[in-house]
Amino acid sequence: MSSRVLPQFDLLEPRNVADVIALLSQHENQVSVLAGGTDLLVWAYIEKNKTPYVLSLSAIEGLDHLDYVAGEGLRIGAKVKVAQLLKHPDVAKHYPALYQAAENFATPQIRNMATVMGNVLRASPAGDCSCAILALGAKVVLQGPAGQRLVDIDDFWVSYGVTERQPDELAVELRIDDTSSSTCSAFQRLTRVHEDLSKLNVAVRLEMDQDTCKQARIAMGCVGPTPLRLKKTERLLTGAKISAELLQQVAAAAREEVTPIDDQRSTAEYRRQVSGVILKRVIEQAVAKS
Amino acid sequence: MNAKTYVGQSVPKLDAREKATGQAIYAADLNLPGMLYGKIVRCRDFAHAKVLKLDLSEAAQVPGVVKVLGPKDVTQKRYNSGVLDLMVSEGLGEVLGDIEDQHIFTDYVRHQGDAICGIIAESEEIAEIAAQKVKVFYEALPVYLTAEDSSRPDAIQFDERKPGNRAFQLPEQMFPGNAYGWGDVDAEMAKADMVFEETFTLPKVKQCQMETHSYVAMYDQTGRLNCWTSTQMPKCVQPKLARLFDLPISRVNLVSTTIGGGFGVRLGMICEPETCAMAMAVPGRPVKVQLTREEDWLASESRHPGKYWIKLGVKMDGTPVALDARFMASTGAYFTHASGVPFTTGSWLTGMYKYGAVRYKGEAYFTNQAPSGAFRGYGNPQTNFALEQIVDRACNALNIDPVEWRKKWHKGTGDDGWCIGVPFSSCALDECLDRGAKAIGWNEKRAKYANQTGVKRRGVGVSVMNHTSGAMPMLLEHTTCTVKMNEDGSVVLMISCSDMGQGSHTVLKQIAADALGMPMDEIHILNNMDASGFDIGSHASRTTYVGGGAVIKACEDVKRQLIERASIRLGVDKEDLEFKERQVVARSDASKKLSVKEICHSGVYNFTNPANGETNGVPGQIQGYASHFPSHNSPPFGACFAEVEVDTETGEVKVLELVIAHDIGRAINPMAVEGQLEGGAHQALGMILTEETCYNDAGLCRNNSFTDYKMLGPVDMPRITTILVEQPDPIAPMGIKSVGEAGPVNPVGATANAISHALGIMFTEAPITPERVLKALNQ
Repeated sequence: MSSRVLPQFDLLEPRNVADVIALLSQHENQVSVLAGGTDLLVWAYIEKNKTPYVLSLSAIEGLDHLDYVAGEGLRIGAKVKVAQLLKHPDVAKHYPALYQAAENFATPQIRNMATVMGNVLRASPAGDCSCAILALGAKVVLQGPAGQRLVDIDDFWVSYGVTERQPDELAVELRIDDTSSSTCSAFQRLTRVHEDLSKLNVAVRLEMDQDTCKQARIAMGCVGPTPLRLKKTERLLTGAKISAELLQQVAAAAREEVTPIDDQRSTAEYRRQVSGVILKRVIEQAVAKS
Repeated sequence: MNAKTYVGQSVPKLDAREKATGQAIYAADLNLPGMLYGKIVRCRDFAHAKVLKLDLSEAAQVPGVVKVLGPKDVTQKRYNSGVLDLMVSEGLGEVLGDIEDQHIFTDYVRHQGDAICGIIAESEEIAEIAAQKVKVFYEALPVYLTAEDSSRPDAIQFDERKPGNRAFQLPEQMFPGNAYGWGDVDAEMAKADMVFEETFTLPKVKQCQMETHSYVAMYDQTGRLNCWTSTQMPKCVQPKLARLFDLPISRVNLVSTTIGGGFGVRLGMICEPETCAMAMAVPGRPVKVQLTREEDWLASESRHPGKYWIKLGVKMDGTPVALDARFMASTGAYFTHASGVPFTTGSWLTGMYKYGAVRYKGEAYFTNQAPSGAFRGYGNPQTNFALEQIVDRACNALNIDPVEWRKKWHKGTGDDGWCIGVPFSSCALDECLDRGAKAIGWNEKRAKYANQTGVKRRGVGVSVMNHTSGAMPMLLEHTTCTVKMNEDGSVVLMISCSDMGQGSHTVLKQIAADALGMPMDEIHILNNMDASGFDIGSHASRTTYVGGGAVIKACEDVKRQLIERASIRLGVDKEDLEFKERQVVARSDASKKLSVKEICHSGVYNFTNPANGETNGVPGQIQGYASHFPSHNSPPFGACFAEVEVDTETGEVKVLELVIAHDIGRAINPMAVEGQLEGGAHQALGMILTEETCYNDAGLCRNNSFTDYKMLGPVDMPRITTILVEQPDPIAPMGIKSVGEAGPVNPVGATANAISHALGIMFTEAPITPERVLKALNQ
């Protein structure tokens, strides 16, 4: 149940990352970090997430960089908004899956406020950007009292709502793996209405050699407690020529590999059945555009 | 009179600019000196429970709390937040069995969100903090979520006056066999060549008006109870509050604030009783109560869900020999509209086709869901879902074109209307069907989509409906209007009809401007409940029809007085006088004329010449008045056509196009009529595709917010073509018929039938979600 009144908290407004780390260490487990606020403030109103401190990143210089460097990949600062992805030509060019996820993400108003990092840190299985990022391959840069460490996105989500980030760490950057001219990727999702949280989302990254898939990464959301890599299904694609028959096998394998549940947005039965359909379609979409 | 200049024109809505720019003042925007804030503490964790102990002591001690009120601290009178009792005769109310069963604060929780107590504090924050310190100890009771559950013999009885938890059935005294209809259904059904029988499940859908419920109330030092509210029936809520708090009506100042959408949710009272009770406890200080969006689902009414059983018997040539139907509605925790909706649901059914015999049974049962009540269409979308699908099933089996069948068997002019005994005054449904079918390409698409095999399959469907313009003779149809002529000839139009956003005030002004032959911008509408006379509110698609009728009559009264005075001043017979361009002119001698402005001015500024004792005109300010009771309900008909595309791999349904042809009689404001049809279609598509209020086994609402209660957004809406069929009704003022309530009705059946056409599967449960479609395709 929501409230019309914002809960009581102290607002912390550090001016640099070092001060953020110090405050996070000082008030361990008592701080919510505010960047876009599209999740945090809603959760505060509905009493699910009340911490005595809210630490805003708004006064910090930097953390808003969005840079693509060939040979290295895409770097997304912690304060980069989802809408910024849509304005960066290299995102559309090199990371179609991420671009398409951002394009379908929530509403224009929310895209203008929500950060890409926030979507990853929320550790929701329904996160659209999270799904694309998992398929593309990435590292999360965490900065703590002892310096920086990089966590692979495959290891970042521990369980629903829980990540590898420690209470005294700030997630400062996302590093998306580089792509090449043989890389193709795509994202699709199913929702109840156009502007909605996904009831199923899928992203793929394929390394292609003509019609043959050399390597595949498949990420699927809303079919487990966190966004899932479908590694068994990926193996069917690796080294295989993309054909209608193969895609049927891939679809069947996906249905076996997912572990969906019933919730307000859909049913386990439905999600299992359409997981294969959407995966087949997203592969076709990725290959068609490569 | 002048040639009409406003009626028939798409005049922009009067309130559009201030609403679009955020300037409109809603109740939530009010900020009065010394204002306090009220918080209604609701039961969150139980849907059925007894309050064993209520401990307000800790809440009362929170600094800034002014007062805490438990059930015993407010009036013990029970009430019915609906207002049917004020719109039907006392005798009829008794026969229908309407009861008052609501308390301001209760110790017997009948649904999640029932109000337990109230907190009054210096700020909204303090009131919320104190609310969290209220301690309530409950004894949980078994929860009944459907009529089937609560009607079981061992179920706890909600109200001793309603055994078996049956809040309503059609009363035997009026409807022998507790059924509405005609003929011997059993005998006729036996003659049928084919019989089609099905039980349909209707969802609990919410109005989702944009404005959340907000109120301010103040018991002032003159002993008046002031209540600012956006109710859609102020002149019914005013006497309801007067009765609840033992005050004469003259001591209840009901202030109508801007209404941010109604759709029936504001039909009667919602939290006016709680807000006023709090204000009575702190005389002299205004108390503001604002609900959250989540509370809207818990504290206000929805459309009636339920099971709709229907059985249609036909001859091989399509003749509908008999129809048998029963709607078992869940009325939720309290009575409110338990009689009204199950009755009218059958009216639309019996009003539609020329069955050989028909028998409709309408019942309502208490459950532990939030109360059901009025929602635009009032039972008609439910009937549309069941009736129009069973008709199509019969047409398919008999290989008869659904449009042709409807043209042959729909009721028309002179046939018994939705109220048996009151014949339809006109019917343009054939033209609606013909023009609609042409616009969507019915014949071509029907044939083209007959045998599809691909992943994506298309279908087209049709549905028809009948509705009403005001609910005469079932309801007290009465609206008063006063037209005050200012001394400069400009006008103040005093009327109690609400404008919920449908544009009724714009339309009433258009009517008045033409009736008086003057510009709209010299007319002001005064919606003041002290100044204006009686009206039963904006509902039942009555405001333009009945309110417009009152405006015309009041304007005629003004013109009569103007002519009388001109006759005296000019020395010309009244019969020889006519209106021309805001002047009264003698037909026989055009030089003999007086301007309306002159007559009005001299009536107010009336001086006696001391020299000769003569006055400069006839004294007295002119006011026209009408207390209008319409003689009929000029029902509109309509035909809707839908084209859909279904993804057979995901079960997703995309509505590609709707064509809505509506029998409007005459459109006063075509743009407003189109807006009503398009907005209604949005609600209908929500009901058929995505919208449903869900509860868990404990009776707690699972989706009381827009996070999980999904209305269609702009991108989800199809292309909509509206066709206004104008065949003026012979009885209606200006030939007009209604549109507002008709909007959400037949896109329901048309979409369902289109899906059925695409897949060859009839869906008996709404909403038709991808999950349900895929499940059906798998079977």
